[in-house]
Amino acid sequence: MPGTDRRSDPRVTALTELETLELKRTALRVRRNILRMFKAGGSGHLGGALSAADILTALYFRVMRVDPENPLWRERDRFVLSAGHKCLGLYAVLAQRGFFDLEVLDSYGALESRVAGHPDMHMLPGVEASTGALGHGLAIAGGMAMGLRMDRLDSRVYVLLGDGELAEGSNWEAAAACSHHRLDNLLAFVDRNALQISGRTAEVMNYEPVGGRLEAFGWSVREIDGHDFAQIVENAGEMPFEAGRPSAVVANTVKSRGFSFAEDRVDYHHWKPTPEEIRLAERDLAEIEGSLAE
Amino acid sequence: MRETREPIAAFGEALLEAGERYGCVVALSADSSKGSGMGPFKERFPERHIEFGIMEQGVIGFAAGLATTGRIPFVAAIAPFVSSRPFEMIRNDLGYMRQNVKVVGRCSGFTYSDLGPTHHSLEDVAILRTIPGLTILSPGDPIEIGKAVQRACEHDGPVYLRIGKPRMPVLFAEDHELELGKGVVMEEGRDLAIVATGTMLGRAAEASRLLEREGISVMLVNIHTLKPVDRDLLVRAAEQTRGVVTVEDHYLAGGLGSIVAEVLARERPTPMRMIGIQDRFVGTGPYDELLTRHGFQPAQIAAAAREFLEQLTV
Repeated sequence: MPGTDRRSDPRVTALTELETLELKRTALRVRRNILRMFKAGGSGHLGGALSAADILTALYFRVMRVDPENPLWRERDRFVLSAGHKCLGLYAVLAQRGFFDLEVLDSYGALESRVAGHPDMHMLPGVEASTGALGHGLAIAGGMAMGLRMDRLDSRVYVLLGDGELAEGSNWEAAAACSHHRLDNLLAFVDRNALQISGRTAEVMNYEPVGGRLEAFGWSVREIDGHDFAQIVENAGEMPFEAGRPSAVVANTVKSRGFSFAEDRVDYHHWKPTPEEIRLAERDLAEIEGSLAE
Repeated sequence: MRETREPIAAFGEALLEAGERYGCVVALSADSSKGSGMGPFKERFPERHIEFGIMEQGVIGFAAGLATTGRIPFVAAIAPFVSSRPFEMIRNDLGYMRQNVKVVGRCSGFTYSDLGPTHHSLEDVAILRTIPGLTILSPGDPIEIGKAVQRACEHDGPVYLRIGKPRMPVLFAEDHELELGKGVVMEEGRDLAIVATGTMLGRAAEASRLLEREGISVMLVNIHTLKPVDRDLLVRAAEQTRGVVTVEDHYLAGGLGSIVAEVLARERPTPMRMIGIQDRFVGTGPYDELLTRHGFQPAQIAAAAREFLEQLTV
């Protein structure tokens, strides 16, 4: 069982070069897991899974207090994927972290697969909420944070929102309540890849400045590069940024990060790969692997 | 004259009692605490009362999150604002996620008569009963409201509890047992079955007394659990009478009448007369006058039942 003493918690310290390299290698395995599901199941939400992959990797391998052997451990940290369509990233990380067998990923796209098109908390260990309809996760995470605080546990709640998702008004209800109730055991990542199905998020429905809006709602906000492990880990580990306020990290990311042919391209929000694209993706991942060789 | 009690106060007393019994019960308010009867709970357990302001969508998600930590959240507000407005949150965060949250819609039906259709809920049962695993309770008197709160606490799963606003006659003794999913036969009879729920049960009971006085034998059935409904009892009512009359302050589309018809069409096709609200907004005004306009006075219910029985006889 992982330790419960936050003060001696290794997560809050800065990463060494070697640790950063190891996280990069893990993130590469995660991207391979994502591609594995596409090869098994044919199509799915690619862009957001890859833009969030590094944040998810850092959370589950460095930041969060979880125990894959005991997924319902009372004192665990919680993670809610509000942008449920990025679930291939979550499945890839949970499997890699040992919550379930990697082979489960091969059922993606099959009838009654446990790795479904959106996450189902009753299907897979490690999934804390069944999301998919946007604008639900922040309120659920806020309720978890309230409950954990009532239980006087020091568990933290992490939630990941898409930037396009912020157009759902229910997020702003939840943002207000998290701040009103001073939920400083909650940290929200906004995966700001700046794209959504119909185009550039700022052109579809502009919620910029995202950080400024959250600040105006009473949150303590930082902006980072969502693919820089040192920045993700240090900021997530330092929560709450201010006592008595919920923390938000606006993470600037690249949609489809890692698959060069799809990066920052709106048409890869949802992907039905061609054999040629699969080959390209494998080549890209091999190149990343080469760059991470000792 | 029967004793009458405030349904919202009955809920509030039962919630307070549940709070005493279960430390995990919490009350969530969408600026609706006092009006929903949660004032005594708030006073007794301020740390277990959480205010959200007028946030009827968000409050359901917070309730779901609280339930994941082992709490039993009660969310109470004016019925349309905790049913049709946050429907998707109830469907996904409580239904699909199977969270142990109790949603209480008060002033249901058109009991908030003078505030008009924005504050009426004539579709809450219809939409909510599409949610797998959601239990829907519509207690028929103040005693049943108290029992419904107890049973809701004991039941592990999402519940919608529908209660009205005007004083309700006390129809049951204090030791009345309410079993989820089991209807109550209040009178046995052989000519007609009158099946009623919630706020309408007292009126249906009066109507059945009027009919009995005319020599018509009425089986009076109280359906306090609309989902899962007591199929066996509905079939028995159809078997032992010549026709079934349903009474509800809800749209005919999707409410009690539909529920009964769905069961009987499959298991024992039976002539029915459904008394409820047609496909329209009911308007505003004094509650008693709206009741008359829409045919809910006991004499009107009795007349409709008598006419139905006469048609069956021809």
